[in-house]
Amino acid sequence: MENTEVNKNIDPEKTRITITLPTNAYFMSGIRDFTLNMVKNTTSFEEKWAFRFQSVIDELCNNAIEYGSAPGSDIRITFVYAKDDFLEISVEDTGTGKNRINATQLQKLFSDRKAPGYVFTGIRGRGLVKIVGEWSDELKFEDRPSGGMKVTVKKFLKDSRQNTSGISKEKQILLNV
Amino acid sequence: MTEVNITIEDLANLVPGQATKVIQISGQLDESNVDEKIQQVYKTVEENPKNLNLIFDLENLEYMNSKSIGYLTDLYGKITEAGGKVVIAKARPNILDILQVVGLTQLIQAFDNLEAAKSAISTPAKASA
Repeated sequence: MENTEVNKNIDPEKTRITITLPTNAYFMSGIRDFTLNMVKNTTSFEEKWAFRFQSVIDELCNNAIEYGSAPGSDIRITFVYAKDDFLEISVEDTGTGKNRINATQLQKLFSDRKAPGYVFTGIRGRGLVKIVGEWSDELKFEDRPSGGMKVTVKKFLKDSRQNTSGISKEKQILLNV
Repeated sequence: MTEVNITIEDLANLVPGQATKVIQISGQLDESNVDEKIQQVYKTVEENPKNLNLIFDLENLEYMNSKSIGYLTDLYGKITEAGGKVVIAKARPNILDILQVVGLTQLIQAFDNLEAAKSAISTPAKASA
């Protein structure tokens, strides 16, 4: 792990942590341990969500390693926890990967695989839809101006917050290009 | 590479005339190790092309990613097509949670102890009406 930055000064109700790591699956066990402990010890989410966020981060980073960032470049993970409200996780790649795709292509891939009746036949491909998609309330794919992609997931602590704020209980999938 | 250990034990005579193996997986199955480590299980399948039964003992498995689940699904398909059975035993709650969210528990039965898993393997399948 190259860099970890914690900033609690801007908004006392929000904790923001940014981690930059090299494009290598070797580092993911450390990121998973960090996620598990961070969610257990600093948020009000139930323990099962600590394990679920661990999987969400792992799947997003594996996608970024496979499609987004070439070996030798970086992946940036940002956690934003708003006390008693939500946890938001973003994973950004550099767009230098051999198999790079853009936000529109990833959105299409997600929608195709999410369609009723879609059958997963290969070894790969379940992570984004079945894990990231199922365990988040909002999912956003964005192309970064400097190249690469940013995928953001958001999970609200209480379902009732979504009802009172007028956000549909149906999952929000946003695409910014 | 993240640490993971796979051991394969032969359960002789659980089902007469069929090979039954207990696959114990401990540690974490992730992108850094799964492609290499799972080959042990595929090798066992190749060595027992017909009527192989597998019990995955996941008591000490701490983490598995979606690709590991893809491999389990693939193994299930190969083994059941060849007349065998696959069950899961002693998975931790976080592992069961991820197996459920991807829908694998609809295909593969999961038991909370090894005896129940063995019993499911040794019980003949009910004939369809």
